[in-house]
Amino acid sequence: MIYLDNAATTFPKPETVYTKMDTFYRTLGANPGRSGHKMAVAAEKEIEDTRAVVAQLFGIQDPRRLIFTFNATDAINMGIKGLLKQGDHVITTYLEHNAVSRALYKLEKRNIITVSKVNNSQDGFVDPDDIKNTIIPGTRLIVMTHVPNALGTIQPIREIGKIARENDIVFMLDAAQTAGVCELDVNAYFIDMLAFTGHKGPLGPTGTGGLFVGERVTLDSWREGGTGFEPTSLSQPEELPFKLESGTPNTVGIAGMRAGIEYVLLEGISKIRAHEQRLTDKLIQAIGNDDRFILYGTKESNKRVGILSINVEGFKPYEIGAILDQSFGIAVRPGLHCAPFAHQKMGTFPDGTVRISPGYFNTEEDIDQLIAALYKIVSERI
Amino acid sequence: MSDRYARQILFHGIGSLGQRLLMDKSVVLAGCGALGCTSANLLIRSGIKHLKIIDRDYIEETNLQRQVLFDEEDIKKNLPKAVAAQRKLQKIDSDARIEPVIGDLNPSTIESLLSDADIVIDGTDNFETRFLINDYCVKNEIPWIYGACIGALGLVMDIVPPKTPCLRCVLEDMPPFGTTETCDTAGIIAPIASIIASIQVTEALKILTNNLDELSKGLLKIDVWRNEIKRLHVENISKKLDCAACKQQRYEFLAKDKYSMETSLCGRNAVQILHPDGSRLDLAKLAGRLEKIGNISFNSFLLRLKVGKYELTVFPDGRSIISGTNDILIAKGLYAKYIGM
Repeated sequence: MIYLDNAATTFPKPETVYTKMDTFYRTLGANPGRSGHKMAVAAEKEIEDTRAVVAQLFGIQDPRRLIFTFNATDAINMGIKGLLKQGDHVITTYLEHNAVSRALYKLEKRNIITVSKVNNSQDGFVDPDDIKNTIIPGTRLIVMTHVPNALGTIQPIREIGKIARENDIVFMLDAAQTAGVCELDVNAYFIDMLAFTGHKGPLGPTGTGGLFVGERVTLDSWREGGTGFEPTSLSQPEELPFKLESGTPNTVGIAGMRAGIEYVLLEGISKIRAHEQRLTDKLIQAIGNDDRFILYGTKESNKRVGILSINVEGFKPYEIGAILDQSFGIAVRPGLHCAPFAHQKMGTFPDGTVRISPGYFNTEEDIDQLIAALYKIVSERI
Repeated sequence: MSDRYARQILFHGIGSLGQRLLMDKSVVLAGCGALGCTSANLLIRSGIKHLKIIDRDYIEETNLQRQVLFDEEDIKKNLPKAVAAQRKLQKIDSDARIEPVIGDLNPSTIESLLSDADIVIDGTDNFETRFLINDYCVKNEIPWIYGACIGALGLVMDIVPPKTPCLRCVLEDMPPFGTTETCDTAGIIAPIASIIASIQVTEALKILTNNLDELSKGLLKIDVWRNEIKRLHVENISKKLDCAACKQQRYEFLAKDKYSMETSLCGRNAVQILHPDGSRLDLAKLAGRLEKIGNISFNSFLLRLKVGKYELTVFPDGRSIISGTNDILIAKGLYAKYIGM
């Protein structure tokens, strides 16, 4: 199987992730920070070390402001629902994943907040000026994706972050597609909240992720419980990360994520991104000038990550997905990618697109085989 | 007891004791098409007082030729088969407790649907459900009567676990998806369904009244057009020594290892159906079978069939995407009818 669905989850993982999780769970599988014995202390140290590693990945000065979550969706919900209050106005885009759209819609439907959605260009970019022009006196939050998962286009977040900061608005970034793939620095990009998942770019296991909560932000806890900290108080502790991290964490997952991020840092983010970009470019060059293929998003290499959405003349996306899977052993993702509004904007609703997302472990030969398969399919048009 | 069953009680095999037994038993009818309609009618008239009718389909005009409980009014009212059958049967016996289930018999629902059955009558239109019923009935030692027909040909077999061989002793595995003819592709004449269902109910009456010595032995095969009646003496091969179900207690359909997976495809008004073992379909052959059904187009990668508002895209491994519906029941029904499962 040639796996080209890395935007859904990266596969395979670095060998060190598998061995780390195996060793960790066999030797240090205690409940961190609860019991005080050697194993519990060692498990807690693993978690705190990971916090520091993640902090390094995003340029976070104080690791305590990094909250572990179960995925990006979990982090986004924690951020949006912990921050917004009655009467707040929120600016977002049409390019968002349902994790953002639905969390906002729920609050909007209950008349707690109002939401404005900013348009994007045909090739998949939001204009910072449009964001600026949408700000009203009650605007509390700008929340958007760094890279829309259906399009792969890198949004101008530094400019938007700056606008947010100048207007004293919280800027929240959904970095599900870019953590571990694009250079990210919460200070340089004026990011107040950053949500990420561990199983994509960070090359970790599923069930991991996190939310960075900047100093300008105070979040309500959205679940309460045991923290291993101040157990006698009836209230949730105010200190981070305890305030937002209740219940036994995904210790083995966090350990695995650490191994993944360490691998990323060792290889170098720029090298990883360059590899994925080179593979995508190769594909774009091979099919981009053939009318039988429709490509979405910009063709400019430096403005996109290794995600390419296409359609093939004469076939539905799900047909292409099924043919690639069973006749050629190639895994891609057809459909809407949980981003219905992005597809409405692209004119690809409701069937969606075929999303091809190579990862760091794919080779040029994988792309050659995909190209050959796509040409074979279009040559048998019915 | 009223006079209603007087003639049946006079029959030596039933008697008043047999009649009382029948009225106490609970029968589940899996599928209410041509076989199911005739079976239900005979069961209720014979004095079955607890009947559950499971079917996921709605009545169509092409059903009226052979499905004896339905009429034009039912189509106008767009009634599900299970409900139309219940209404009709209730007129025959207002006392009987007839429970219509508009739904799917699958590994998740089978326990709740069959747990109170004293016997299960097969009225399904696909092998997958039959193998599932076989697993459940073998595991729980519930008798079931296999029945199937197509064209002018019918098959019937009693399966009384643990006494008789089971369906997997005889067929071992279900034919791969998309490789079997169905009534919707090969046609059927009404009399064969009536004959097979009549034998099924007769066998059920014997089992429910403890006349086990009188049971039909082995697999009975009847071709009413060629005037052939054959009996495959499976009881002579006895039970297959390594039968996955009745010898090894590996209930692969119940455990979903060999059961199809249906997924409603995100936002696309389409359902995907695939079998974990896959299939190796000759799409040209399938096209030949389906050309009378609707608009067909195919190449070596896929086949498209348009039937009414639905489009079925079939791939060589038997996987199919049925667009025009989000409803898994409708999609499964279409697949069973036209592709064959």
